[in-house]
Amino acid sequence: MEILPQLLVNAIIAGSIYALASSGLSLTYGLLRILNFAHGHLMMVGVYFFYLLSVEYQWSLAASGLGTIVFSILLAAVTLRIFVLPFSKYSFILTLVTTLALSNIIEALVSICFGVNVKSLSPGTAAKSIEIGSVYITPIQIIIIVSALTLLSATAFIIHQSSLGRKIRALSADAFAAQSVGIHESRVCFLVYTLAVIYAAFAGILVGYETNMQPTMGTTYTIKAFAAMVLGGLGNLWGTIIGSYILGLVENLSIGLDFGGYSIPAGYKDAFSFMIILLVLLFRPQGLFTKKKRAA
Amino acid sequence: MDYLIHLAILVGIYLILAQSFNIVFGLGRMFNLAHIAVYAIGAYTTALLSTNLQMSFWICIPASMIISALFALLIGAISFKLDHDYFAIGSLAFSSVVTAVLINWKSLTRGVLGITGIPRPEVLGIDFSDNTNFLFLLSIFVAAVLISVGIIFKITFARCLRAQAEHSHAARSLGVNLVRLRTNAFIISSAYAGLAGAFFSYYINYIDPSSFGLHEMVFVLSIVIIGKPGSFWGVTAATFFLVLLPEPLRFLSISPSILGPMRQLLYSLILFGVVFWKRKTLFPVERSV
Repeated sequence: MEILPQLLVNAIIAGSIYALASSGLSLTYGLLRILNFAHGHLMMVGVYFFYLLSVEYQWSLAASGLGTIVFSILLAAVTLRIFVLPFSKYSFILTLVTTLALSNIIEALVSICFGVNVKSLSPGTAAKSIEIGSVYITPIQIIIIVSALTLLSATAFIIHQSSLGRKIRALSADAFAAQSVGIHESRVCFLVYTLAVIYAAFAGILVGYETNMQPTMGTTYTIKAFAAMVLGGLGNLWGTIIGSYILGLVENLSIGLDFGGYSIPAGYKDAFSFMIILLVLLFRPQGLFTKKKRAA
Repeated sequence: MDYLIHLAILVGIYLILAQSFNIVFGLGRMFNLAHIAVYAIGAYTTALLSTNLQMSFWICIPASMIISALFALLIGAISFKLDHDYFAIGSLAFSSVVTAVLINWKSLTRGVLGITGIPRPEVLGIDFSDNTNFLFLLSIFVAAVLISVGIIFKITFARCLRAQAEHSHAARSLGVNLVRLRTNAFIISSAYAGLAGAFFSYYINYIDPSSFGLHEMVFVLSIVIIGKPGSFWGVTAATFFLVLLPEPLRFLSISPSILGPMRQLLYSLILFGVVFWKRKTLFPVERSV
């Protein structure tokens, strides 16, 4: 069991990235009641934009980061106005279809502009690992864990302490009642959606530094974020964050440990998260951390 | 001429695939993102049986259809537990499990390398390695599928499917057995998807998991939505339109690596345009009684 501490650390790293990627998705679902199939692709296009600025144009880290945030805000405004809002008052199928179309459009555009090959933000040389006890960790992995904790705490503060957070909670509990006491729904929705896109882009950049990026990562992360959200209950922010860490844990433990001489091949890591979605959906569709609602 | 035959074969395969999706999605309004996974299972069944076991056409085709239909039972089971958004996620997860297994079960499927050298079938002593002959063989099956789907669209089965899509409780109160109805719809549509998959692997001679990704699913979805869900002739026309539409791109001097994304961009934009334009009438909101 010498490998166990390392696996736990890996699980926390993976979970932090999933938490950043999925918390925005969960907040948006809570407010807009739409499943955004393009969420992973918004993350992917964010990291490609950052790549364009920082690697191809050689901007400094801060300037590229700022540029990516501005880009994410514009992207959020455009996609929300064009692909989500015109459809939200009709059948739920429409937004599923339009976000799927959006995901395809983004993937195609990125493939045309940057090519389909794997790219990485980190320079070619392998980063030096720091050894703590029996655990190896790279500086970027420390940044991942710390920034995820900071950002998620900041989100917690916003949701539970600020007036914006009160509006968000009111709107996701009962949109009609919240509007009738004067909460501006579309403004709050736009803010939350923009925040979700920025978080996703940030998670994408971390992935770009930690491993690599390619246009198909969009679909992978959409499904991973869905998995985390399904674990915690659709639209339940805290459940989703815990779900993200559980997902990281299950993926890493399932491939790292051997069961009586038989270990699971690393490639099956993804299959695990998909199986989790199916099992949770079938046996506990309200999520692990949501109390079953009584029928109204 | 060879090129035209190639296009005709593609249209034929997509006709089977799109009409089969039209049954569950067009009539039944079930947002089944696992349809492409069933198509993949059909394709892999034929590929494996014909390369590893040298099975004949008459074994591969029924085997593909039956195994795909068995998987349909699983999707059906998911659909009884889940509705709306939840079914979309569940079927997407199911589809992803299938893809992940195809990529990772290397001893069977050779992973991302795919299966190569799938032989063309030989039926009644006729060798179908010639594309013209192959088109002839495919047309017989396409005709059979289209006629049977045409009949399905006219019988009580289709009316029941439409009814449960519009209001499931009302349909049940009129004596529609939802479980049996949906299971039958999934079985029929998946068997046809398996057939399309079998012909796809016979024709291309080479399959790998990347042919069955989410973007292919969106392509089939685009065909059905652009053709009007639940409309037999609309979907038939849309299949011709969407399969042939990106072909002129080939004659522009565009590098082949850009061609795939261009095609993807083109049909996604058209899909979005049609949904945007028809958003008020495309999918009526479930009526509350």
